[in-house]
Amino acid sequence: MKNPLRDPQDRRLPRIPEPCALVIFGVTGDLSRKKLIPALYDLANRGLLPPGFVVLGFARRDWGDEDFADLARNAAQAHARTPWRDEVWDRLSSNIKFVPGSFDDDEAFDRLAQTLDELRASHGIEGNAAFYLSIPPSAFPVVLKQLERTGMSDNQKSGGWRRVVVEKPFGNDLQSAKQLNDLVDHAFTPGDVFRIDHYLGKETVQNILALRFANTLFEPVWNSLYVDSVQITMAEDVGIGTRAAFYDTVGTTRDVVQNHLLQLLSLVTMEEPTGFSADEIRTEKLKVLRAIKLPADIARDTVRGQYQPGWVAGERVPGYLDEKGVPADSTTETYVALTLGIQNRRWAGIPFYIRAGKRLPRRVTEIAVLFKKAPHLPFAPSDVEMLGANQFVIRVQPDEGITLKFGSKVPGTTMEVRDITMDVQYGEAFTEASPEAYERLILDVLLGDKTLFPDAAEVEAGWKVVDPLEEAWTGTKPEPYRAGEWGPRAADEMLVRTGRAWRRA
Amino acid sequence: MIGLWDTTGSAVVKALAAERRTAGGVTSGLALTLIVITEEGEVRAAEAAATVAAAAHPCRLLIVVRDEVTHARSRLDAEVVVGGRLGPCEAVVMRMRGRLALHAESVVMPLLAPDVPVVTWWRCGPPDRIAYDPLGVVAERRITDTLQCDDPLLALRTRADDYAPGDTDLAWTRITPWRTLVASVFDASHTLPTTITIEASEKDPSALLMSGWLHSRLGVEPELLPVPGAHMQGLTMQMRDGGTVKIQRENGSALVQRTGLPDRRMPLADRSLGEDLAEELRRLDPDPTYAIALAAATGLNGFERRSPHRVHIWHDPALAERPDTANIAGSDDGATEHAGTGPSGAPEAEVSGSARVSGDVEAAGDTRAPADTSNTPQ
Repeated sequence: MKNPLRDPQDRRLPRIPEPCALVIFGVTGDLSRKKLIPALYDLANRGLLPPGFVVLGFARRDWGDEDFADLARNAAQAHARTPWRDEVWDRLSSNIKFVPGSFDDDEAFDRLAQTLDELRASHGIEGNAAFYLSIPPSAFPVVLKQLERTGMSDNQKSGGWRRVVVEKPFGNDLQSAKQLNDLVDHAFTPGDVFRIDHYLGKETVQNILALRFANTLFEPVWNSLYVDSVQITMAEDVGIGTRAAFYDTVGTTRDVVQNHLLQLLSLVTMEEPTGFSADEIRTEKLKVLRAIKLPADIARDTVRGQYQPGWVAGERVPGYLDEKGVPADSTTETYVALTLGIQNRRWAGIPFYIRAGKRLPRRVTEIAVLFKKAPHLPFAPSDVEMLGANQFVIRVQPDEGITLKFGSKVPGTTMEVRDITMDVQYGEAFTEASPEAYERLILDVLLGDKTLFPDAAEVEAGWKVVDPLEEAWTGTKPEPYRAGEWGPRAADEMLVRTGRAWRRA
Repeated sequence: MIGLWDTTGSAVVKALAAERRTAGGVTSGLALTLIVITEEGEVRAAEAAATVAAAAHPCRLLIVVRDEVTHARSRLDAEVVVGGRLGPCEAVVMRMRGRLALHAESVVMPLLAPDVPVVTWWRCGPPDRIAYDPLGVVAERRITDTLQCDDPLLALRTRADDYAPGDTDLAWTRITPWRTLVASVFDASHTLPTTITIEASEKDPSALLMSGWLHSRLGVEPELLPVPGAHMQGLTMQMRDGGTVKIQRENGSALVQRTGLPDRRMPLADRSLGEDLAEELRRLDPDPTYAIALAAATGLNGFERRSPHRVHIWHDPALAERPDTANIAGSDDGATEHAGTGPSGAPEAEVSGSARVSGDVEAAGDTRAPADTSNTPQ
């Protein structure tokens, strides 16, 4: 029966999921404490969780319910976005249950299955449950097997929906990604697998599609006739922190390019989807991901870098090789710059420069579309000396917004034309109300809306871009750059060769 | 902040431009202009609410305080604030006294941000007909608050008579949390109610709208059970399968009791005026669900055929209040010039010819104070 009180015209009523349970594996981990639990509190505070919503925390530690309640409370209080209200937390925490056990402990999983069955009657969840795997990929096989063994992953058996949420990394290369996808898709059904790329939960990223396909202004010039090149930057000022063990085995390219940056690239370059449904958007994204062309000479048109000691934000920071847990002879990159092409009619011949790195001067993620210079300037050359090319920049974080750079006359008696920047702080005024990426994504999982989740094919297409690069880089050493610089000099030279320069992000 | 005393509309326009320039690059992305019509005692409340709402919807805020329309001498005081205590919005608070108050649009129109939607909110009893107020006519969206009126139920009826697409009332906004709760009951239910009882204060327009909404969606006319208290207190539904669903407000949350399921507590926070206003500003198009609920609550219909555009109707509250006095406040203006004022004293509404707001109907006789004296302090 359709809910008689819900009406698409009635836009005041928020979308609220059906009664369900969220099972978090690795609930005592970093991600869970910093993002998941706070996001759940924020959702509860905004009244977006269904009545009878239950959280089941599963983790190895030998904890009691109360220890866990303390941890959850502290986590929520420390990281929640919305104001703290005790009554909201009390209500939520009375529906948080802790199931201790290790992943190879059959009994613990039987207990979990039993708990879920009991909730059907006691909370009216009708067998609906989402499993959040906030655990290292190495633990996936054993957990998924347990879920299969107990029948918890089976939609039919449970009589409701069963969904699984996986976090990156989605494998380490194409082969391992395929194995992982097969594993997850086999335990659940492909339609019930939600891969989290938290970049897609960001308002500005979602706004790229609105900007491109809701306006007339941008689309006509969004092609190789007018665009000179596109630069996508994801800079972080922090180092690798305590992630050495993980980071040293992957490097920047696998860590952020394969997922976040290629997703941004696909959103900026994709064709218009026939509709705004998950499937139709995915079709277009896949098309463009599959059209990505690697440089003919990978050694020349890509640059890897590794940070040396230096100064960042007024503090002296160690080099990558001096970080705790990094082998002294590591050749893992902490910076990467790529020249990619897209083989289709819209973009053929246009270079896409993608760079990402740690210990760069500041934290910024942006997409800059650089336009060609006007074919003819009817001004005296001296009047337009300061005139550059038009730029359209989408800032993803921080200070979400849009910058448009264009030439304008300098007030005065001479005809002097100079670049000025028009800045729309999309974020500034809206951020206060705009939810955290995880809030949006968890809610979408519970609602079953897959628009913001990359599927197996997209993940595999990403690896098809990254794998040949990694192969070509085998045995090479990354270029050194001082912490606090915009990457190695070779990255600048890569653009200078084509007569271009990186935009100072 | 710039304060202007006994000033003119054009000085306010200049002051706003100057203040924006000195404040630097604030609020370049205006989403709308919000006109707030209020009374002196409500200015602080209106400012606070608008500040909260502006955090989510960057806007230009124009607060108009009308005072002593019968006063012989018109006077305008204004305060221009950009990016200061009123949050991220740029705000002008205008106090208008005398006949000027009836021509507030002459000051407000040049201050509207170019080509963005205009929303007018009455933080006071709204006029019986929105068309009486030129500041309501310029707006795409009009927000009233029947709870501010002496007789809220009568006021809701008036709103229904006067309804045009784009109108909403805060009495409707206030029950969004309630409606969310009730709607979630049917997410997990496969049965419909046979009877519905709403417990609320007799004078609560929100309960009436709730009743109208449920009636229109479920086909069951709810029964209103009067209880003391300002808000809706509870709702009970007898379901076809024999079960009962009972939702009861309990400070800051709601207790949901349902046959066969354990009792649950759900959030049902008292929202601030600012949060309600922010919800209103989220959609700038007409709210058809409100129209249907209002129609069902008042038994009127044909709302969807009404034009969203209103034409200003000249209406002088001074005359309406004292129909016998043709000569008010020192033989002022308007009254004698208005041919419509017959011996009965009832002023006849005069419709200005165009859809635009215009004060031209009686403009000539109205602005008594010559320009040269308007800058002289009293």
